[in-house]
Amino acid sequence: MPVQAPFRAGEGEFASLVRQHQAMVFSVAWHFLRDRAVAEELAQEVFLALYQHLGTLESPEHILFWLRKVTTHRALDVARGRQRRPMVRLEDAPEPVAVTPQGDPMLGAALRKLVAALPAKARMVVVLRYQEDLDPMEIAAILGIPIGTVKSQLQRALALLRGKLSRSRGEVGL
Amino acid sequence: MNLEDELRSALRRKEPSPEFTERVLARVAGRPLRRASRPWVRWVAAMAASILLAAGAMGYRQYQGERARSQVLLALRIAGGKLNKAQKKVQMLNAAHRNNS
Amino acid sequence: MKTAGFPLAFVMFAGLAAGQQVKWNYEKLAARASDSVDVDLDGSLLRLAAKFLSSDDPDQAKVKKMVEGLKGIYVKTFEFKSPGEYSPADVDAFRAQLRSPEWQRIVGVHSKEEGEDVDVYIKPEAKGIGGLAIIAAEPKELTLVNIVGPIDLDSLSELGGHFNIPELEVEKKKK
Repeated sequence: MPVQAPFRAGEGEFASLVRQHQAMVFSVAWHFLRDRAVAEELAQEVFLALYQHLGTLESPEHILFWLRKVTTHRALDVARGRQRRPMVRLEDAPEPVAVTPQGDPMLGAALRKLVAALPAKARMVVVLRYQEDLDPMEIAAILGIPIGTVKSQLQRALALLRGKLSRSRGEVGL
Repeated sequence: MNLEDELRSALRRKEPSPEFTERVLARVAGRPLRRASRPWVRWVAAMAASILLAAGAMGYRQYQGERARSQVLLALRIAGGKLNKAQKKVQMLNAAHRNNS
Repeated sequence: MKTAGFPLAFVMFAGLAAGQQVKWNYEKLAARASDSVDVDLDGSLLRLAAKFLSSDDPDQAKVKKMVEGLKGIYVKTFEFKSPGEYSPADVDAFRAQLRSPEWQRIVGVHSKEEGEDVDVYIKPEAKGIGGLAIIAAEPKELTLVNIVGPIDLDSLSELGGHFNIPELEVEKKKK
């Protein structure tokens, strides 16, 4: 692959890219890590890296793929690093400003907490699937794991969430 | 309740703080900024990124190629199936026509 | 010229322009569909796909050969929750886009009983077929296929029957 100079777009073009993708990058980090400050810091780092590597990216689709992949892996590594430090309690994590336009907000908050309690890989699979609407092939490519693993992680995570949700709401047969 | 729909709703994208873009641009331009209170976040992230980015371009090509292959197989199966269906109907109609004449 | 299994004759045209993608206007229909499959492969993606098709697997090798020389494969399948969510007029609008001298309808099968219609169009060229379009309408599903480039109908038809494709990971997009 030919060596290319880093992207040296004007501030306007790069700023457009940041605005276009910032919600995606931040939200993957936020839904995964449940710490707004850490998610914002991580998101900033991702865009700094994008600025350096933009010249190597081939298309808008490649940029999106790259951003998802880098954000995902950085978030997973931050989570691994956090395991050696006191974790932020879920109850202390502030909710971002945006409000879900539909659905039960209480249920939404409960679901986000339950997702946050999933094991790291399964949690990221759930975030990529339901925040980004990615199919198993795309998730597998981003995480670098087999498609079969993605599917089984997803199945198990949904079963776990269903069970926990129905127990917490006192419902049967969800 | 459809759990998957509720998950999509609960995990909708949210915007970062209003100053986010400005902060990124400022860091790109090298202006001094308020540093994160968690410097280890940046250290861990930077270490992971350098390894990941080296494989980035190759990984995307692989993904694109495998996805294109899946799509070709799917598309030709769909197209072949519809063609097959049409062919069988034509043969049936021709057979019925021969039987009636 | 006859292609086996397709006894309807068609007229050969000489000196036609290179194949181009049919630009179907399906946005309104897509908005009503509950699920959809969307395949959009231009020449460069087809060449890339060909590199990933195995020559050792007999079925993939057939596909690899078929894909050689193609300029594009475009497939849209729309699924609806109930019958009647799209109209005959919607389908006619797609057919209208193929009413030009370069396209020849070689099959038009309409089954009132099953409520299924299949129309197959080819773009004849001096050396054979330069393009294919299929409109397949069922009560709860509508499929549009456009293949740009030289295609062998019999080989393609074989793929629809017994083709042993490994589990495909390209998922339907839910609405």
